[in-house]
Amino acid sequence: MDLRQQPSRLAAAWPWISTLARLGLAAVFLIAGGLKVTDLAASARAVNAYDLMSYDTAKVIGAVQPFLEIALGLLLLIGIATRLSAAIAAVLLVIFIAGIISAWTRGLQIDCGCFSKGGELTGGRTAQYGLDILRDVGFLALAGILIWKPRSKFSLDGVLLGER
Amino acid sequence: MSKGNRGRDRSAAKRIVEQQKAAERRRRVTIWTSVGVVAVLLIAGLIGWGVIANQNKGDVDTPSVAVDDGTAFAVGSGPVTVDVYEDFMCPICHEFEQQTGPTIAQMVTDKKVTVRYHPVSILDRASNGTKYSTRSAGAAAAAAVDGKFIEYHNVLFENQPEENSDGLDDAKLIELGKSVGLGDSFASAVNDKTYDSWVTQVTETFSSRGYNGTPTIVVNGKQVTGPNETLPTTEIFTQAVTAAAG
Repeated sequence: MDLRQQPSRLAAAWPWISTLARLGLAAVFLIAGGLKVTDLAASARAVNAYDLMSYDTAKVIGAVQPFLEIALGLLLLIGIATRLSAAIAAVLLVIFIAGIISAWTRGLQIDCGCFSKGGELTGGRTAQYGLDILRDVGFLALAGILIWKPRSKFSLDGVLLGER
Repeated sequence: MSKGNRGRDRSAAKRIVEQQKAAERRRRVTIWTSVGVVAVLLIAGLIGWGVIANQNKGDVDTPSVAVDDGTAFAVGSGPVTVDVYEDFMCPICHEFEQQTGPTIAQMVTDKKVTVRYHPVSILDRASNGTKYSTRSAGAAAAAAVDGKFIEYHNVLFENQPEENSDGLDDAKLIELGKSVGLGDSFASAVNDKTYDSWVTQVTETFSSRGYNGTPTIVVNGKQVTGPNETLPTTEIFTQAVTAAAG
C-alpha cells in the first residue's frame, strides 16, 4: 500500500514543484531585466565589456536583452506555453554561462552584468565568475524542471486546457 | 451479440472520440500559445531596438573647444599625447589624480605632454538617480568652453562626493565653478544641461574604443596599467611617457 502511494503522491506534488520553479524563474528574469532596462547605455557597456563583439553590436544586444528578459519573465509568470518559454530561458542561460566562462578563460576582470549594469571592475574588487556560473546553473535547473514537467498550477496553459 | 455488449462498444468509441478531441485541443493550445510566446518576445526585442535607435537622434551640443573628434579637452602642448578617461564620481580616478596629478601638471608645464581629458559618465547609477557623473562632466564641458577646464576638473575631484550618495547638486556645481572664476555663462550651461547629451556621446566613444573602466590612461595610443590591470603607479606612468618621448 505505502509503496504504491509514494509515486502517486510525487505525481501530485509535481505541479506544485513546477509552479515554484516557474515563479522563481519568472522573478529571476523580471529582476534581471528590470535592473538593466532603466539604463540601456550601461547595459550596452556591460555587453561590450565581454569584448566578444563590436560596440555597435553590443549596443543593440544591450538594448534588446533587458526587454527580452522582462517579456520572458512575464510569460513565465502567467505560464503560457510553459515548456517553450522555459526552453528559451534555458537557451539564454546557456549563452550567459558561455559568456562568463569565455570572460573567465580570457582573464578579463569584469562584473558579469547579470543583475546589474556590469562593466569592468575597478581596483580591489575581483570577479567572482565561479559564483556567477553556479547561480546561473541553478536557474538552468529551474528551467530544466519546467521543460521536463511543464504542467503547473495557476498557469494560463492550465486554464486553456481546461485543467483546474 | 447482446445489447449490453453493443452499449459497451458505443461508450468505448465515445471515449476514444473524446480522447482525440482532448488531444486535438491540446495540440491547438500548444501551437497558438507558442506562436503567442514567440510574437511577444519578438515585439519586446523590437521595442528595445526602437528605443536604442531613437536615442541616437538627439542633437548634441559639442563644446567648441573639444578636440579628438570633439570628445576631449586638451591641456598643454607637449609632443606626447596622454588620454585620460575619467568619471568624476569614480574613487580610483580621484586616487589617480591625487597620486599622479601633480606629476602630470609638471609634465604639462615642462611642455612634455598634451593631456586630453575625456569626461565620461559610466557611474550614473551610483548617485541615487541624480546622474551625477553626467551632470559633473557636462559642467566640466561648460568650464572648458569658458577656458577653465583643468581648474574645474581639479576642484571637482577635491570635492568628490561619496559613491552612492546623491552627488553634488547643480547649485553646488555652480558654486564650485565660481570658486575657480567661472561666471554666469557657465552657470546657465549647468542649469540648462547644455552639454549632458555630449557627455553621453563621449562615453559611447570611450566604449567603442574598447575601454570599460575608469580611469583609463592612454599614452600615445597605448593603454598604461599596473600589474593585473590595476591603476598604474606614478613611476609606471612616467616610464610610459619617457618611452613614448623616445
